[in-house]
Amino acid sequence: MALGGTIRGKKTTLRLPAETDLDAYNRWMADMRLRRAHRVWHEPAMPATWKERLKETAKDKMGVLWSIEAAGQLVGLAAGNFWSVTESGFTIRQFVVDPGEWRKGYGFDAALALHRYLFDYLDLPRVGVEVRADNVAALRIGERLGYVEYARGHEVHYRDGGYVDEVQLFMGKDAWRERWGATEREYAPLAADATR
Amino acid sequence: MFGPRLDGERGVSLVPATAEHFKLQIRWVLQPEVGRFFGPRFGEMTEERQEDRFKKTGEDETQIMWTIAYQDEPVGWTGIFDIDWVRRDGESGIVIGRHDLFGRGIASEAVRLRTGFAWRELRLHRVHNWIALANRGSRRANEKSGYKQMGVYRKSFFRSGEWYDEWLGEAYPHTFPDQR
Repeated sequence: MALGGTIRGKKTTLRLPAETDLDAYNRWMADMRLRRAHRVWHEPAMPATWKERLKETAKDKMGVLWSIEAAGQLVGLAAGNFWSVTESGFTIRQFVVDPGEWRKGYGFDAALALHRYLFDYLDLPRVGVEVRADNVAALRIGERLGYVEYARGHEVHYRDGGYVDEVQLFMGKDAWRERWGATEREYAPLAADATR
Repeated sequence: MFGPRLDGERGVSLVPATAEHFKLQIRWVLQPEVGRFFGPRFGEMTEERQEDRFKKTGEDETQIMWTIAYQDEPVGWTGIFDIDWVRRDGESGIVIGRHDLFGRGIASEAVRLRTGFAWRELRLHRVHNWIALANRGSRRANEKSGYKQMGVYRKSFFRSGEWYDEWLGEAYPHTFPDQR
């Protein structure tokens, strides 16, 4: 996974991950509230192991990892991967907001900014994500963004003594344009004389 | 990991893969008849790379892979990949590399052997897969062993001026015909 650069939302900023973020990553991956909601990116580990994971992540050409900040404080991470050289698209694998920062609107704000980057800046045709069927907050964010369900796996994730279904969601560039194209742009249109 | 030898009907067996079988895969996947529903027909297609893949596959504890043999000749491969041993779920796949043998029921028998092994020996809870919707032979082979549709992914890939959709299937021990 490569390391991602700055993407600005209204309340949050996705930015380059740093070694100083790793203590928080480790804490989140050990938090049962988060593990219930979402498959964790890595299991809790020693600081040296997390440093090694960050180094390996930086070398991976098909994936990208960002840290998420709000008001100058680290509040989450996002990670995903591009599909292949012949298929353009991106799958969001991790989208974590610190459980202590839930219900402040950071998740939607960071997700909207990330999708603006994927559709408006990278010009990708489609983005996918898989969400546990009882993760109401993630499903609500997906619905607001414009995702649609294309499949539902039954009894996929096991936690807390039982299985939960998985909802597979897809969003195409047309949906992005229709819902967000008029208001969400990475840059303002070029001035008429910009290329003169 | 490689799976053990499983002998089925009509001359079909699943056998542990060898380095030589992995080298045959290059020839198979680069043919248009096989690549239609599979890959882009390019890549690092060298024998050295296949030897390396063979070693890594053998060491990988999240997958069980077999070569499909028909009348004791290698003709393709199948397996269960990305197994999560907590959720007891994995993704299955199959390639019949010898396109001159399409339509003989080899895939159906290979899927039956693989799926029975998943329930009886691995004690998996679920197996799922993606198959091109237009690949009726593969879809039917999986359905006969209890795979049910869980969704369709529209316009997954583009070939010869047409979008191809993908069928998403899932199977459980209780959907396997031999255990009903």
